[in-house]
Amino acid sequence: MSIPSPDKAFYEFYCPVKIVAGLAALEHLPFELQMLGASRPMVITDKGVVAAGLYQHIEAAFAGSGIAVAAIYDDVPPDSSLETVRDAAHLWRAQQCDAILAVGGGSVIDTSKAVNILVSEGGDDLAKFAGAHHLKRALKPLIVIPTTAGTGSEATMVAVITDRKTGAKLPFTSYFLMPHAAILDPRMTMTMPPHITAMTAMDAMTHAVESYSCMAGNPLSEAFASRAVRKISENLLKVLDNPNDAVGRLALAQGSTLAGVAFSNSMVGLVHSLGHALGSICHLPHGLCMNLFLPYALEYNKDVNGEKIGELLLPLCGPEVFAKTPAEARADAAIAHIRHLRDELHARAKLPRTLRETGKVTEDMLPRIAAAALDDGSLIFNPKDADLDDLMAVLRKAW
Amino acid sequence: MMAVIGRSLVAMSRVDPTVRAELAPIAPGFVFRMTVLPDGPSFAVERTAEGVFALVKDRTRRAELTVIFKHLRHAFLVFSFQEGTARAFANDRMFVDGQVSVAVRIVRVLDRMEAVILPKFVARRALKRYPRIALADKLALATKAYGVTALNLLRGR
Repeated sequence: MSIPSPDKAFYEFYCPVKIVAGLAALEHLPFELQMLGASRPMVITDKGVVAAGLYQHIEAAFAGSGIAVAAIYDDVPPDSSLETVRDAAHLWRAQQCDAILAVGGGSVIDTSKAVNILVSEGGDDLAKFAGAHHLKRALKPLIVIPTTAGTGSEATMVAVITDRKTGAKLPFTSYFLMPHAAILDPRMTMTMPPHITAMTAMDAMTHAVESYSCMAGNPLSEAFASRAVRKISENLLKVLDNPNDAVGRLALAQGSTLAGVAFSNSMVGLVHSLGHALGSICHLPHGLCMNLFLPYALEYNKDVNGEKIGELLLPLCGPEVFAKTPAEARADAAIAHIRHLRDELHARAKLPRTLRETGKVTEDMLPRIAAAALDDGSLIFNPKDADLDDLMAVLRKAW
Repeated sequence: MMAVIGRSLVAMSRVDPTVRAELAPIAPGFVFRMTVLPDGPSFAVERTAEGVFALVKDRTRRAELTVIFKHLRHAFLVFSFQEGTARAFANDRMFVDGQVSVAVRIVRVLDRMEAVILPKFVARRALKRYPRIALADKLALATKAYGVTALNLLRGR
């Protein structure tokens, strides 16, 4: 088995999303809409975002700009459905909107991408666009304003929507789903409680680590992933100690977007296979699942891609630690650092480190989780093959 | 080459219990196609009620799952076993349209086929990990698989 290297024989890289990042970045919204030829945006969000007062920042950004929000759809559930997408598309048409502003986390962003399919292509049958690369032309302007720093969905070409009638999760993959712009403003993530801050940051950290160390990594995705690891590693504990640290919050948001760009161009691996399976069976948040499995999956992969894991010691711990650590010990040191980070997150934000600590997983569930993980698409990109026994072994370590 | 791969999958599903176990959870009538853009060579197989693959000759029949190579050259790399299936996905040689969980099973079936019908030194190049399989079992399965494939080719099935 050859290991992915900076000299990868072939790769593709694509990210057309304009990133607007910084303090008061939201105030660039009217300009960005103007540049896209739009003046009647519809905001898609959820009740939590509105209750947290985050929508007020959007309204304030439009003051005196001559552009106003034409409609607000704030009924996006945590697990969005075809019905939700249809309802939001009806509102968009009824109010004669011409752009979408997604204000929220992963579910809001996925919903907004799917709404954009319907309002651009016409009709109400979203399911017929499910699958890979079925869209053949550009969609309406879509700007994403993330309110969590973890999913990276603002930089990906994928949306997943549930068909409630069948229970199936329909994946939509197309370059045209990628937003026109993502606006990273620390005001939008400032009110996240410590537990959510920690969980979402570890989601982004896992995107970056797996992007860097799994089979489809390439020189460009590695650059984004490495910088993401550094941003998160340097700022996560600082932000937990001082939640009003706007610069730190911005760094975490950037880390999430950098990781999103990275994994969108390289896919992920074993942590995600196990995490997707655990999340669907035990209904645990995705970021928590990532935190639970990250060090154990790295340990499993280490004998195949230890060199790549070792390279991550530099963005994780900085140049002094990296230089002092012998090359052959760097992978172990990187994994040890991630374990230490998880201990700190447990101490500061009560983020569980083991399946047992979640209080929602029982040992008899492990075979089901392993079986589901075996059929997860991410496993293809894991550098080391894993069969059912291997997955059970990792799960037992994470127990 | 695509025709041979399709027929080899059919043969493997008939002679190898490991492959049949992989196909067991897939619904009868499920059609899997591998094709090359824009309208290149392709094959399609259907999971039958008996739990094995059968060739689908109707090129217009809708497939529930399609793996699409972006170019003939990429398909040649994979089916001449110079590049493993997982490596080909990682190198963006192809993409999946349909249920990804079934695609993962099909990848395992393709890997199993390569491990059985190819000499170990060739298969090791294409696979992430060569499976634990006794030489006697490998030879017995490979002989049966080659036999069924040759017979089906002769019969035009």
